Amino acid sequence: MMQISYQTQRLSMRFFMLMATLFVVQVGFGLLLGLQQADPTVLAGTLNFNVVRAEHLSLGIFWILSGFIGAILFVGPLLSKRELAAPWLIKFLFYALIVTIVWNMATQSLAMKGIAGWWEGQPWLQQGLEYLEAGRAAQVVILIGFSILAGVVLRTFPPRKEWNEIHWGLAIGVVALTAVWLFGMFYVSRLDLQEYFRWFVVHYWVEGVWEVIHISLIGFLLVLLFKVDVKSVGYAVFWGVALVWLSGLLGNAHHYFWIGTPEFWQFWGSLLSAMEPLPLVFCFWHIYLDAHQNRRPLENAPAFYFILGSVVLEQVGAGILGFSMTFALTNAWSHGTWITPAHAHLALFGTFGMLGIGAAYYAVPAMREAANFDQRIGRLAFWMVMIGVLGMALSFALGGTVQIYVYRTLGLHWFGGDLFPAMGVYRLLVAVFGFLLAVGAGLIAFDLATIGKRTRSVMANHRAPRAASGWGRPLSGFEAGIWLTAMWVFGGIVTLSLLSYNLPRVRVDGDPTLPYLLAGIGYPGLLLVTVLFVWRFLASMEARTATAPAVMPAAAVAVAG
Amino acid sequence: MSCLDEKNCPEVRRRRLALVMFGLMMLVFIVLSGFSFLSSRGQVTPDQVSFGANQATAGKRVFQAYNCMDCHTLVGNGAYLAPDLTKEYQDAGPAWLAAFLPSAGGWPTEAALRTQLLNKEVAADAGVDSLDAYYRKYPGAKDRVDRRGGKTTFMPNLPFHGNEVGELIAYLKYTSEMDTEGWPPKVMTGTLDHRLALLHGTPLVVAAPVAPAAAANVADTHDLAEHGEAVAKDFGCLACHAVDGKPLVGPDWGHLYGAQVKLTDGSSVAADDAYLTESILKPNAKIVAGYTPGVMPQQYDQLLKPDDVKAIVAYIRSLEKR
Repeated sequence: MMQISYQTQRLSMRFFMLMATLFVVQVGFGLLLGLQQADPTVLAGTLNFNVVRAEHLSLGIFWILSGFIGAILFVGPLLSKRELAAPWLIKFLFYALIVTIVWNMATQSLAMKGIAGWWEGQPWLQQGLEYLEAGRAAQVVILIGFSILAGVVLRTFPPRKEWNEIHWGLAIGVVALTAVWLFGMFYVSRLDLQEYFRWFVVHYWVEGVWEVIHISLIGFLLVLLFKVDVKSVGYAVFWGVALVWLSGLLGNAHHYFWIGTPEFWQFWGSLLSAMEPLPLVFCFWHIYLDAHQNRRPLENAPAFYFILGSVVLEQVGAGILGFSMTFALTNAWSHGTWITPAHAHLALFGTFGMLGIGAAYYAVPAMREAANFDQRIGRLAFWMVMIGVLGMALSFALGGTVQIYVYRTLGLHWFGGDLFPAMGVYRLLVAVFGFLLAVGAGLIAFDLATIGKRTRSVMANHRAPRAASGWGRPLSGFEAGIWLTAMWVFGGIVTLSLLSYNLPRVRVDGDPTLPYLLAGIGYPGLLLVTVLFVWRFLASMEARTATAPAVMPAAAVAVAG
Repeated sequence: MSCLDEKNCPEVRRRRLALVMFGLMMLVFIVLSGFSFLSSRGQVTPDQVSFGANQATAGKRVFQAYNCMDCHTLVGNGAYLAPDLTKEYQDAGPAWLAAFLPSAGGWPTEAALRTQLLNKEVAADAGVDSLDAYYRKYPGAKDRVDRRGGKTTFMPNLPFHGNEVGELIAYLKYTSEMDTEGWPPKVMTGTLDHRLALLHGTPLVVAAPVAPAAAANVADTHDLAEHGEAVAKDFGCLACHAVDGKPLVGPDWGHLYGAQVKLTDGSSVAADDAYLTESILKPNAKIVAGYTPGVMPQQYDQLLKPDDVKAIVAYIRSLEKR
């Protein structure tokens, strides 16, 4: 479907453009963080690391949300078979979002002067909490924005009796988005209680809300891309969401191991969050089934590339790397080290960022009626951000492995003297791979802004067809299962690496050979298998164009119901 | 949904079961959460902890206002650029923190630590009566002074004002007293020398502490101002007093000598030898407008010899010409 059915779908365009712009700015701040990690004196006193990181995290949330809003506005009318309710509210939401983002970017730098804007016991300008850096004033506006989104989505949807699982998923998603945000909006003077509620927002947003929106959107995009049966996707959406909530609700306990809450959380957190990968395996399996159900050729390659990237990196970053550090016995070592950002970059950018970009690649050409848009830049940019973010994760993970040994096993906390030199090469590698990601981000922003506008070569998409043999032969379910198993085997080695810090040989004798060896096999192996699998999957999809005759784009697709 | 007929509908039953399970999970979560914050658990709260007159509750607001968490970690959460601060107080103690925080760009020397210990409030909080006892109680302080004293850090100087330093110390005292279920894991790899040898291969030669400059014979020093600079560095004066026009915790020393200084009571005074000497020995006698009394340690009359004071004044006088 390379055209839109409802005029109000066009409202999603501005949010996708905002997403791409913020993505570039956010990655720019990320590069600066990388430079400051390599040399902490860069811009010290002018733009301190903590301010840059606050901008990096806030913008990361803002652009992912922009992508979500864009995707929801684009599919909303299709799901409801009518125009969006109250489009003027959406326009208001857009400008309010921009003002809030600019305001928040400005107020974060007040941390260098120690100004939080205390009034009535609340920090109104910035509150200095990781992920929740925005001050109360911005948070109130964001709450209003979420309410507008939820209101518009619910008013656009058909009567409840006609809802399928995708409607339910998105409706619950936008309402919960608003509700969970409330838990970050009050000042708590106890550190343990403050961290308890901070994870309500961070964990339940990601695990309870974003994941639900993610599953619903992926499901519907697959319906649009491959004309998959809505009922089969609905089944996957219901059980995906159910498994996410059943494992994620108590899985939040893995954030309550060391913050001053009782020991019993270690039992519940280790047990339940070990099941958190289940819905991800489930989602992973369904994208395989749905993409391979009817062997349709790949009409819009970049859109599918990023959707596949989203599901695979969710599996690797959130699923496998998350699993490795979710047990009290491994988390005691990984907690508060670079092991965490290895997981976080794949899980946040990979899962949610790539979904927004994938949705944009589907929606933007449709809105510009550019059915034969040049897909080369999108393909190239995908591989740049994919290799970039995987490389960053690898650098963080290996740097973190050294960090655990020096910092926790040897207790040498002098960052400048002992830790930084020991982690040296990895601190540099983060910036190198970050640069690759940044170039990819720039390409994506350029491509999305100019799709259907730039003069393109007519032959652009008529490259030599890939042979349906070797890497391009059809991917069987059995083979996909082997790839998934290989990822988990390397994930198991990673977990053992973290576990081995408990051995007396490491902990008392101070011999790091075993954790280093296991990490040296586990992380590169995991990330290499990931790249190869994505390559294999996409090659088999690309080969379809060669074998199957090109199908004329259908005018519109009958969905929902 | 896979329904064979109205009565035999396994999918509907399965979905209902999932909802019931979810309800059960929520119940477990609520019960566990309730137990987590019962006062009978004995977990320390910030309203129970203070450092002198400073409350840990106030310190938490300072900690957030400067967004410490986006460089450091606390209970392991935050950024990973700078050390975890959860047990920093327990490790380095209040005197080291009081010497370090006002000018975090430099590592405190032993003299700076000794100065802080003469402060009755700090000594009472540390619970020791001598530097040796302090080092025994807070081994991290000795490591820091021996290995880094006088060097520069990667932390930027932060414009702390009023009682913010004391409040932060109170907050870190609170986090140190928290029961974090044994995290961070106890270090079991032996002495510092052994651990350094494990990392660097060969034992590092630990630099001997710099001999206090104050002990040097002033008569032999040709340049009194040069000696004054050494004393000022050693006693940590320059941690709070800038010489380049960028005020830190205390007033700037650059171009101070001979200038008219405005005081909090509205009057002004010429910064001559007498005024500077008085301000070193009795810091609360005259407070410069915009600064808080009681922030500067008041023990320099016991620590510094009259010649040292003269040397510092000569150093400040020399800054006038720069």
